[in-house]
Amino acid sequence: MTIEQLTNEFELARPQLKSYILRITASIEDAEDIVQDSFIKAAQKIYTFQHKSSVKTWIFTIASNLAKDNLRAKKRWTENVNDICKSEALANPNYFPELVQIQQTSLHGQFEIKEHIAFCLTCISKSLPLEQQICMLLKEVYEFKVLEITQILDTSEAMVKYYLHNSRAKMISIFDGRCALINKEGVCHQCSELNGIFNPKQNFEVEKNKIEMAKLADKGDKEHLLNLRLQILRDIDPFSSNGSELQLHHLEFNRKIMENYSGKKEE
Amino acid sequence: MTNLESDGKALTIKKTFSRETAISIDIQADKSILWALLTDASDYQRWNSTVISIDGTITQGGKIQLKSTLDPKRVFKLSVKEMEVGNKLVWGDSMGKRIYTLKSVGNGQTNFSMHEKIGGPIFPLFAKMIPSFDQSFEQFASDLKKEAEAICNAI
Repeated sequence: MTIEQLTNEFELARPQLKSYILRITASIEDAEDIVQDSFIKAAQKIYTFQHKSSVKTWIFTIASNLAKDNLRAKKRWTENVNDICKSEALANPNYFPELVQIQQTSLHGQFEIKEHIAFCLTCISKSLPLEQQICMLLKEVYEFKVLEITQILDTSEAMVKYYLHNSRAKMISIFDGRCALINKEGVCHQCSELNGIFNPKQNFEVEKNKIEMAKLADKGDKEHLLNLRLQILRDIDPFSSNGSELQLHHLEFNRKIMENYSGKKEE
Repeated sequence: MTNLESDGKALTIKKTFSRETAISIDIQADKSILWALLTDASDYQRWNSTVISIDGTITQGGKIQLKSTLDPKRVFKLSVKEMEVGNKLVWGDSMGKRIYTLKSVGNGQTNFSMHEKIGGPIFPLFAKMIPSFDQSFEQFASDLKKEAEAICNAI
């Protein structure tokens, strides 16, 4: 492979790669750095590429390893991350004015329920063990095959299946207990609360029913509801969506809270 | 324990100063999946209906606190006594120990066996107060088989 071929392949993969690393790290800066470092590393090791996988899989392998190194010393988040961060946001007098300013001035400042669902899954999936989170994202969002994931994670097919099965089971259990979009008893109404703030003229029930997952919630097929939730992530590029700036600001806020929250727990 | 068939049926041998229960079953799943299930304390509650909760980490020398449906009001404080990665796990306390063993038996199958021996000089004094493990062992093995085979067949 020539450097030109690598550059072309890398540029094709870059949007997905950047979104994938963002969803693992929850950090814009780390996502940008890791993507850039992945290209440098791939260029340096270009002679080692032996066409045993696609170039895209190879690039994702390099980036995944860099992301794993980056996250090794960091604690995993908790499944009630959004409750913790909501309390902190309400106690922070600057938080909502900042969001309103983004909404009023940015071309990517719209609040959309679907984008918040993607944001929410990104945050909650950080409560999974890292390998499980990576497997779920690679398979269900970035549509890699199991064999390709074994190459990216340097593990067996059996373990990839284990990570996938476990991550899905945990996500189903968490969202079934929390998400009021799919369970009337769910404790989290953040979508409707934020939609009420940013889109006060909208009827939430009408907007909610535009989302397939919420519409089919009563049918109770939890596996299918998770698939629909993951489909939402597949369809959204967190760096260029209608509300990307708003959601990225929210994600950065949550990351800073959770990093401190983990710190507080250790003291 | 001899005469143990891989049929998922528990076998108990009672003696004056001890009691042993064992079970063996063949599971259509890779050994690594079974090992992962047996060593992730936080996940037991999801797939194993005999476990109410396990706190702690299942690592060599690690301490765990187990609540079982065998005696829901009691917390068993156990330590991990032996871990041979992928093959053998032993946990227990001063009263006894439970041994989990995994062996590949070909055709993508793994033999899972579980053995627990409790006893000691004062065992006869409270032997009648300890419930039979048979049903719990059979349920444990059945749950493990169901979960591991579901993982293998999921994709």
